[in-house]
Amino acid sequence: MTFRRIGRGSLRLLLATLFVAPFLTDVLLAQEAVGAVREYGDFPVIGARGAVWIAAQVHLLFAAFVLGVPMFAIGAEAIGIFKKDTRYDRLAKEFTRLLVIAYSATAIWGAVLVFFLTTLYPAFWGHLASIFEVSMWFYVGLFFFESFTLYLYYYGWDRWKLGRAKLGHWGLGILLNIWGTAVMLIANSWLSYMMSPPAEMTPDTAPEMVQFWSAFANATWMPINIHRIIANVVFGGAIVAAYAAYRFLLAKSDEERAHYDWMGYVGNLIAIGALIVLPFAGYYLGREIYEYNQQMGITMMGGFMSWLWIIQAVLIGVLFLAGNYYLWVGMGRIPGAERFTPYIKYMLVVLVIGVIVWATPHTMIADRDELAAMGGTHHPFLGALGVMSAKNTAVNLMILTTFLSFLLYRRANLRPTIAWARSGTIVQGLLFAMAAAVVLFFGIYGYFVTAIVRIGFSVYQVLAVLTAIVGVVVLDVFMARGAESRGEIRWGQMPARSQYALFVLVVTFTWLMGLMGFARSGIRQHWHVWEVMRDTSPWAATPALGPAAQMISVCVLIFLVLIAFIFWLGGLIEKPQLVVRLRPDDPRVGERDPAVHGSELDFLPAD
Amino acid sequence: MLATNLKILSVVLGTILFYTYLAGSIPQVESEVPAELDLSANVTAEELVAAGEELYAGGGGCLACHGTGTRAPNLLEPDGATGLIGERCGQRVEGMVCKEYLHASLIRPTDFVVPGFDPIMPDMSRTLSESQVWTLVAYLESLGGEVTVSSEDLAASAADPAGGATAGSAAPASTTMEPMALLEENQCLVCHQLGDQGAPIGPPFTDVGARRDVDFIRSKVLDPASVQPAEGYEALAGTMPTTFGTQLSAAQLEVIVQFLAEQR
Ligand code: HEC
Ligand code: HEC
Ligand code: HEM
Repeated sequence: MTFRRIGRGSLRLLLATLFVAPFLTDVLLAQEAVGAVREYGDFPVIGARGAVWIAAQVHLLFAAFVLGVPMFAIGAEAIGIFKKDTRYDRLAKEFTRLLVIAYSATAIWGAVLVFFLTTLYPAFWGHLASIFEVSMWFYVGLFFFESFTLYLYYYGWDRWKLGRAKLGHWGLGILLNIWGTAVMLIANSWLSYMMSPPAEMTPDTAPEMVQFWSAFANATWMPINIHRIIANVVFGGAIVAAYAAYRFLLAKSDEERAHYDWMGYVGNLIAIGALIVLPFAGYYLGREIYEYNQQMGITMMGGFMSWLWIIQAVLIGVLFLAGNYYLWVGMGRIPGAERFTPYIKYMLVVLVIGVIVWATPHTMIADRDELAAMGGTHHPFLGALGVMSAKNTAVNLMILTTFLSFLLYRRANLRPTIAWARSGTIVQGLLFAMAAAVVLFFGIYGYFVTAIVRIGFSVYQVLAVLTAIVGVVVLDVFMARGAESRGEIRWGQMPARSQYALFVLVVTFTWLMGLMGFARSGIRQHWHVWEVMRDTSPWAATPALGPAAQMISVCVLIFLVLIAFIFWLGGLIEKPQLVVRLRPDDPRVGERDPAVHGSELDFLPAD
Repeated sequence: MLATNLKILSVVLGTILFYTYLAGSIPQVESEVPAELDLSANVTAEELVAAGEELYAGGGGCLACHGTGTRAPNLLEPDGATGLIGERCGQRVEGMVCKEYLHASLIRPTDFVVPGFDPIMPDMSRTLSESQVWTLVAYLESLGGEVTVSSEDLAASAADPAGGATAGSAAPASTTMEPMALLEENQCLVCHQLGDQGAPIGPPFTDVGARRDVDFIRSKVLDPASVQPAEGYEALAGTMPTTFGTQLSAAQLEVIVQFLAEQR
């Protein structure tokens, strides 16, 4: 419909220019008017917003994947090089192969997004383009470099395999990450600008007058960069773990099971390890949003979005529980871990209480009747648990507990031989206890001070937790020196139920990304660019969580189906067999051979 | 193999469905667009109040703060001895009748800050049109008081260009060069103390010249974030408005800067 209108409009224009040339100025004005008509396009069935929503979210999920996985890959490759453990090298390569395919999916969805934006939101896109044009060219250029670095990295894997060449190859991996991160920083500037344009901008500011750097490095740019980079590491780890879980469940040999069990462990380790830092980055982001605009901060945390954070807390609770559950079940394959099993139930209790406290609503908006029914704006019970102090305390304790899970897991099959092993363990225990005490103390004291002071308290809590983590890790590294093994980890001897936890992890995290994407664009409410460019389309109202959740689920499903397809493709290229069985006296036993493209063979003795 | 695949599929779909269901089962709050009003010249008080109530509970976004009762004064319930907003509005500021006070609360919220609250109330003229603001005033008046807003107020603001959508952030078209008048006009004394005037939210002006030089003060007024906040006020950085650069003429700015630099 809009297209027809344009068509007719331009025809009239053409006629006008031909026959009424003397009134050319009028024609130019008319042209402007015709241009102004077309601020929005329409999309069948789901509407323009739905179309852009899906395109943007799926693109973002793929982008996070192709950013998170290379980080994972160079880490694994480095361990392979420096610890001379080829398992890691193979792992890195296995994932880089998937990356090549995922990369084109990212580009396709990116193109879909840009075309949808230009056709469905032309006026808004014009605004963005006129401010960010140069950075958009850079974006495309970087994308180009990134692709070719990726090709070199993947196809050069077997060629630059040894010595200095291997280090050069690893350098390519680092370069790949640099391009990828630069691409993300640029894209982040556009979306963070929409949320926090330079304060001096008003609806009347001509885009050409905006200084590029003040729009680019806007108030929420850096916090979003940091939050996203960390989130992408989690995402990369979670996907690796899910892939491994899938291969584990379908594995036919014990060797395969051992390999994928171990891969799942590494993926989960990275995901949960990075997840632990995410809340800190999140609070930093939240604080910057408040700082930029009180009203936006309040809309976000207490306004129409307040319930969103309850859902967020549930999701994050599931992440913590699933990650810990996987570790606990995994202790079954470690000789010596039995001695820690009694503690698991206490850790579970702490985690569950933490989730409950965190997911307790604080101030919800309510109308007069609801308020009366609840007994005032501060529900005697909900109110007290819901305030920041309680939430911060809960999150910090959950982090500590998860860290403890890791520690026990690590310690499970070791018997330290150093003389101070006992006192070392006691010091570690004291560090934990002190951190927990500091967290609890400020959590409770927070109720007796004003908001400004209370916000400062969360810093002490975080510092206490970080200090404990760093201190305990340092001690642990020294204590593990020369430690005796209580027996090899029995990789592959993992109950299937643990693997389903990894699926829950990846689905939850993907959904969480969708939810937070909605949060970020939702707090702008009916603005394309906060208090600068109004959304006057029929979809300007921000939907409630229910309908938003349905959109998020659609995006997540599209993404998961495509990723499953990519994994399946990856499996097609791969040599189906990782292990060749030989007679025990065969001279090749124990060697490893880069056999056919895409895989390597282990020569193992037949049982 | 098939059984495993099906199990995985059901775990994945089950998880997604659970979250979808969960998000659908909590209170559904939509953020509406403040409805643009099409009020005829002889609009009645009831129509104004109804439009205002809708705006208040919906697209106006007032409930984010006023719905809680802790972050902002509760407007729907009596505030201690001063009564409902429609009653207390006439007593807040000497010489201001209810209608004027409420109107000012919405578009110049820092002129008078209710004791015990932070000056966080946004300037509503940035997001709402003048007639929308008037409907809110009518609605608030109706809570315990008498509605005095009429179509004349709407017409007057339509005729007066300064009352348009950018009124609050635009310059009070003033040409005064008198330092005290400038401080007052630009509401500096809402947050700063000079002698026995003003409020102690920001650092006092009384000795600012001893602490800061001309360049610093100029930067502060033009772009508060560009220079360090004063000691002890770090937590309040970001409170000072950033609009003075567009609000003051260059000469007025210099008058203020010189005047403050002389306060030792
Ligand atoms: C960001 C939070 C916030 C939002 C949003 C907000 N207010 Fe306020 N409002 C406050 C605070 C805080 C005060 C008390 C301090 C002051 O007077 O500025 C206040 C004061 C008021 C007062 C004076 C109350 C009295 O007792 O004298 C009125 C009237 C008012 N607001 C109306 C509104 C209306 C109508 C809206 C929606 C269009 C709104 N406010 C949106 C925070 C907010
Ligand atoms: C809404 C409250 C508010 C208003 C209105 C306001 N200020 Fe401020 N001002 C502050 C706060 C808070 C600080 C301290 C934090 C900071 O430096 O950002 C401050 C700091 C300052 C300083 C620096 C003082 C020092 O010792 O570092 C100067 C100078 C100043 N303001 C001048 C002005 C002038 C001139 C005006 C009016 C044109 C004005 N302010 C209006 C809140 C305000
Ligand atoms: C344990 C704590 C947290 C976790 C696990 C978490 C997780 C995530 C994830 C996965 C994303 C999507 C990142 C991406 O798209 O690349 C995200 C984005 C976001 N988070 Fe958090 N978050 C946490 C805490 C917080 C907090 C406390 C806040 C604010 C108060 C916050 C605000 C946001 C916002 C606004 C976004 C959108 C930015 C974007 O689109 O990238 N987060 N978060």
